[in-house]
Amino acid sequence: MPSKYMIHTKTVTNRFQPVSKSGIIAWEEGCLKCAVCVKKRCVYNVYDKRGIDSRHMIESIDNLCMNCYRCVQNCPKELIHKSLNPEFNAMGDSHWSPPIIVRLWNQSQTGKIPVSGAGYPGPFSGPGFDSMWTDMSEIVRPTRDGIHGREYISTAVDMGKTPEHLMFNGSDTLEGEVPSIIDIPLPIILKMPSFGTISPNTIKGWAMGARRLGTLIALPMEKIDSALEDMGGCLMPLVLPRGTSIGNIPKNAKIIEIPWTEEWQGVVEDIKGYIPNLFVSVRIPMAEGMEEKALSLARGGISIIHLEGSSMSRFMDDNTRNLKDGIRLVHMKLVEENIRDGVTLLASGGLAMAEHVAKAIICGADTVFVDFPILIALECRMCRRCTKGLSCPVEIDTASPGWVASRVVNLIGAWHNQLIEVMGAMGIRDARRLRGEVGRAMFFEDMDRAAFESMGQVEEGCELE
Amino acid sequence: MTSEQKRTLALYYCQNVPASGERERQDLEEKYGRGIRLFTVPCSGRLEPIHLLLALEEFADVVFIITCPEGVCRYSEGNKRAKKRVEKTRAIIASIGLEVERIGMIIGSKENPISLADHARAAMERTLKLPPSPVHN
Repeated sequence: MPSKYMIHTKTVTNRFQPVSKSGIIAWEEGCLKCAVCVKKRCVYNVYDKRGIDSRHMIESIDNLCMNCYRCVQNCPKELIHKSLNPEFNAMGDSHWSPPIIVRLWNQSQTGKIPVSGAGYPGPFSGPGFDSMWTDMSEIVRPTRDGIHGREYISTAVDMGKTPEHLMFNGSDTLEGEVPSIIDIPLPIILKMPSFGTISPNTIKGWAMGARRLGTLIALPMEKIDSALEDMGGCLMPLVLPRGTSIGNIPKNAKIIEIPWTEEWQGVVEDIKGYIPNLFVSVRIPMAEGMEEKALSLARGGISIIHLEGSSMSRFMDDNTRNLKDGIRLVHMKLVEENIRDGVTLLASGGLAMAEHVAKAIICGADTVFVDFPILIALECRMCRRCTKGLSCPVEIDTASPGWVASRVVNLIGAWHNQLIEVMGAMGIRDARRLRGEVGRAMFFEDMDRAAFESMGQVEEGCELE
Repeated sequence: MTSEQKRTLALYYCQNVPASGERERQDLEEKYGRGIRLFTVPCSGRLEPIHLLLALEEFADVVFIITCPEGVCRYSEGNKRAKKRVEKTRAIIASIGLEVERIGMIIGSKENPISLADHARAAMERTLKLPPSPVHN
């Protein structure tokens, strides 16, 4: 039994006041000056702790308010109101929605699993991973003493080629060579996001976080400088096939990644000629023809393939197709060709919540990349001002590496706990067994088809009464 | 550096001002650079003298509030209250020797809705007519 993998988290305070969902509007005019004002009776003493962050003019009372509405209901002149904050609604986009951003902030701050109130008020189904439900049949028999109890649930995964069979000689010793693998304790690799006010300190912090987690961080080659010299073991350099010197690859790096080109074989040969034991991952855009590309790579001996979707969790060339469907397509293609175990499938693109990790693995990925969440962990609001050269409202580039690392460790710690929760509820005790377990999940499209297909189809232009 | 960039305008605006979404806000920041600081509020009535004074104290040469037209406030009378607060804040800054024009107010029109960008241009023109704030010098 391997030693139990634990991520130790502790609260890491925000550098800026978070944007709250709602705010208090209190009229002063017409106040009756009651002897005991409702503001004085606030059970959370919110009004006594009022402060304004002059950088963003954010009222501290908005973040402290617990929305009990006592003050709103009890003011005799009805001078206190609650309103939605327009700054909150302006954050992010349809995929990186404000509630997701706020949940990621909270997890990065506390390292704890987000808990919401009773009931689920959201829609029954949605696009992408929201149209997928995991089997929770074992939730009635959870581990005897919690997710960190005696029944160990392993989240470790292997990267590289798994042998199809083992051969033993007469003296019961293993015959032949077993291919080497990279073993990481959780199926998550950090990846530098494609935008953000990112400084060398930010990158160093992410790398420190990856090292503390025991995982890897994928970084463009040009971002790897002398400050990361001693962290080569946790780096996954993203190498361009042309114009980048192979000699710049950190000495102790275990793995690198190259983008797909028709001449990938030559590029891999060059790299292997320089560092023979280096693992090479080839990145394929999630787009038309990716199954054939994956197949040719697998047949050509590439053991790690990275499927890259868009930051909105869609195909690169088709906004109507979701990441989960792309992963399933490639996974099933490799299964049909009987070469699935010879390949490690990495997936990236818009993974925004802990449940997306489990769902991507169920769809067929072995490991996933997490990119924008590690930026949001640093209080990013996904406003994309940085892409226009405007100043970052939360000055991410000024954060110290230690703070960055702790926030990322907290976030991934919370995600790791949620992954264990999901696996425990599914009765699966090893993340490697979760891969491709679509039988333990339900897909809205399948259920919709099973329920309504026999009733015929609605023809285009025909309106249902 | 242009003359516009030598002053800083703090612009508070009601979320109901036409064309005042995040994109328009970023466009304005691109146009005026550090010369403008934009703060969207759910209702102009939320603003109190402290918000206006704090902006003047910390970074702004001039503070402007843009409200929705009278009679259409979602909170019934937020814009009317904002008007009273502007007057109160003007009295405060006058008492310490600052020009009352450093606190400005623009009330939207129901008949002729004007976008945030046009309001910002008008506010910036009025800002540039004033000398830099002595608070920061």
